Amino acid sequence: MSEGILASFTSAMNLGGVARLLLMLPLCLSVAIVYKTIRLPHVEDVPVAALRLWITVLGGMCAVGVGLWLLFELMV
Amino acid sequence: MSDHPESSIIRVPLAGLLAWLIPGAGHLFLGERVRGLIFLGVITLTFWTGVAVGSVQGTVAPHSRRLWFVAQLGTGGNALAAYMLHRVVAPESAVASKPTASGNWLSAEVGVHYTGVAGLLNLLIIIDAVARADGSLRRGRRSEVAGGAT
Repeated sequence: MSEGILASFTSAMNLGGVARLLLMLPLCLSVAIVYKTIRLPHVEDVPVAALRLWITVLGGMCAVGVGLWLLFELMV
Repeated sequence: MSDHPESSIIRVPLAGLLAWLIPGAGHLFLGERVRGLIFLGVITLTFWTGVAVGSVQGTVAPHSRRLWFVAQLGTGGNALAAYMLHRVVAPESAVASKPTASGNWLSAEVGVHYTGVAGLLNLLIIIDAVARADGSLRRGRRSEVAGGAT
């Protein structure tokens, strides 16, 4: 069993297509949780605030992506 | 915990050191249990998710990814444990490594970003732990001055 656990850290996953984009979600969630846990005086407020920040960040990144894509389409 | 200024002076660097060594330990030391546990869970999970995605050889590579390794060192004990694992698994690539796992370069890139971001987030947590410890030090001095004035 310990060899199985070790193997999961010594062999890379095969990422492709949508998987690499989906891995952006937990990373953004980590950033949102840590930021809100540092900033907020009451820890009880963290889950809702982190969720809102997470959605805002993802929405912002999607908006930037769409904006750059439109710019590319217009220029090429 | 004592409110003497002498013990508070020790608390500031100790909180910073603990926060670096084990993410969240600085806050746990300062009595912020829930906050510390959140940091411990999030940083550890983010770091080891990155290692699992990109493999320890492709992710924690101090020679081929020097600046990323500096960022990863922000997680302290996690990065050191991953580097030890790297040396055990592939000692030759730990000493003089080229980018490994050429077929999985994308996974390695994702893993490096996860671990690097975990390290940088832990730097913020260290600063927060030190600031909170310093705040308690200032409060202690203020109450001492107020106590002396009355």
